[in-house]
Amino acid sequence: MNTTTQQTTSDIPNPNDFLSVKVKRHFSALAIDIALWSYTVLVSWKVIYEKVIMNMRYPKFFWTQPLTAFVIGAVIALALYMTSLSCGRAFTKLMKRDENKPVLKEPFSFFIIAIVILTFISGIYISQVSLHEFLSDSGLTGARRIFTALFNPNFAILEQATFAAIETIYMAFIATAVALPMAFIIAFFAARNLMSESKVTLAVYNIVRFFLNVSRSIEPLVWAIIFSVWVGIGPFAGMLALCLHSVSSLSKLYSEQIENISDGPIEAITATGAHPIQVIWYGVVPQIVLPYLSFTIYRWDINVRMATVIGLVGGGGIGTMLMQYQGLAKWNEVGMLVIIIAAIVWLMDWLSSRIRESIK
Amino acid sequence: MVLEIKNVNKVYPNGTHALRGVSFDVKEGEFLVIIGLSGSGKSTMLRCINRLHDVSTGEIMFEGKDITKLRGKDMRQVRSRIGMIFQHFNLVPRKSVMTNVLSGTLSRTGIFKSICGIYSEEDKKKARDYIKIVGLEGKENHRADNLSGGQQQRVAIARALMQNPKVLLADEPVASLDPATSHSVMQYLKKVNEELGVTVICNLHFLSLVREYSSRVVALKAGNLIYEGQPHDIDENWFQTIYGEEAVEVTIN
Ligand SMILES: Nc1ncnc2c1ncn2[C@@H]1O[C@H](COP(=O)(O)OP(=O)(O)O)[C@@H](O)[C@H]1O
Ligand SMILES: [Mg+2]
Repeated sequence: MNTTTQQTTSDIPNPNDFLSVKVKRHFSALAIDIALWSYTVLVSWKVIYEKVIMNMRYPKFFWTQPLTAFVIGAVIALALYMTSLSCGRAFTKLMKRDENKPVLKEPFSFFIIAIVILTFISGIYISQVSLHEFLSDSGLTGARRIFTALFNPNFAILEQATFAAIETIYMAFIATAVALPMAFIIAFFAARNLMSESKVTLAVYNIVRFFLNVSRSIEPLVWAIIFSVWVGIGPFAGMLALCLHSVSSLSKLYSEQIENISDGPIEAITATGAHPIQVIWYGVVPQIVLPYLSFTIYRWDINVRMATVIGLVGGGGIGTMLMQYQGLAKWNEVGMLVIIIAAIVWLMDWLSSRIRESIK
Repeated sequence: MVLEIKNVNKVYPNGTHALRGVSFDVKEGEFLVIIGLSGSGKSTMLRCINRLHDVSTGEIMFEGKDITKLRGKDMRQVRSRIGMIFQHFNLVPRKSVMTNVLSGTLSRTGIFKSICGIYSEEDKKKARDYIKIVGLEGKENHRADNLSGGQQQRVAIARALMQNPKVLLADEPVASLDPATSHSVMQYLKKVNEELGVTVICNLHFLSLVREYSSRVVALKAGNLIYEGQPHDIDENWFQTIYGEEAVEVTIN
């Protein structure tokens, strides 16, 4: 019964656009080629030649060297641009390929494989992988000593360690609890569907998003170091670090949930003649409350784990205790702490997944 | 006259002119069907009637009073007298059938009471009665989103009935249901219309349903009202005017 009245718009852009699109593509193709070749030159020179072949222990590094590599790379890239070795033209689909030929048989694929192998070899040298050290006699003896100690935990510190663990759990809990209301409010400003009404709100949205992304991309470990200088070493610094990170992560998750709200129930409740507050309570809240709860519990779970790590840099709790015993090389005590940490992580993981499962 | 639509124009903020000088009357107790192609303005018309959208110009008289300029409490008061059901049912997910049906009483329940979920005994009894009327007895405590499409639409009808509506708007209520379920839902709407005396305005896609259930038809095309008459008067010519030259009528059984 339906007839299509839609007009099909022409797929061919006008000639001017077409030209600039093509130029842009060549531009990015060449950039890709230059980047790949510069990288190849630099790695072959600094790692493969100096470290692997010449076996230099501490090769000197000048800032002119990457520049030289870039120039050489650019020359090679330009010279080989029109050949079938050009990855840039292949990636941007500028290269006319025979569809029946397998991609892996194309010359540019060989180049990519060569780069991967080069990177792998360099990686092994740079991270100083050494089977010799790994299997040396003195090394194995040391390892045996530590493992024996770890498997003979010192139960004398059980009480003290449990208290430290409780401190960690509470620290994580408070960090999550304080972060929750802040994230709840910020999330509304970070939800695109609510903020795209006008230019002003869109600007606020972008600023909020920017700060969230920045604070989220700085590890809580780094924040803990900053805060331990600020408020002194201890659980408070750790709590602040976790809290900050939780606010930005939860805001992001909450706002995505708001963005996914379906308008249907909101419209239906509005249509019954309900007051706007009732519309929010009946149309919006049921759609977000359980996901929010689930995210928050999961966050607490993550925070307990992070709190342990943060303790290592002086954030208090069981992590700090672990660091102290480790510094004194008291491996039996460390063994005890490792067991307790494993137990807590397992318990929190189990608890949070059970709760999240039951409220789905 | 329950409703008088007078020369209504609707232009969306993005410039779409969705209704162009539409005028028609809705008589007490009738089952009026609006037909037209997708995008002809049917949904826009219904949403203007219960003020989910504002008209650009023109008047909509409900029980003799223009409602297009009402705000706040007065507007909500009018909305509560006009029930609405939707193509995708629009029930509140994760909530029970009972809670969904009771949400039809929100306009007369205090804000605080409704947040705490306190409803009058009278409303609760009424909700159970309507759930029975739409054939869902025993499902009061089931989660609404676990029901089948046809059942969800019946919950939506019960929710609308809780408003004690004078008029019930139905925006393609069976468009996402299979043929058998479509008839069942349409029969419930007919029952509401005939036994409870609620005036129904319904957007429909299938002419076979229109002929079977409607008492009067109006047709929209690109925002213009192009036909007003009895369902059996829609002949081949009208059909092609409404749906276009190449259209072929398909039936739903
Ligand atoms: N919220 C909106 N904003 C802008 N344009 C809209 C909106 N809703 C509908 N329209 C447009 O208005 C016209 C009528 O739409 P609608 O009333 O939904 O038609 P129908 O229900 O008959 O399919 C269409 O062109 C549609 O694209
Ligand atoms: Mg529609």
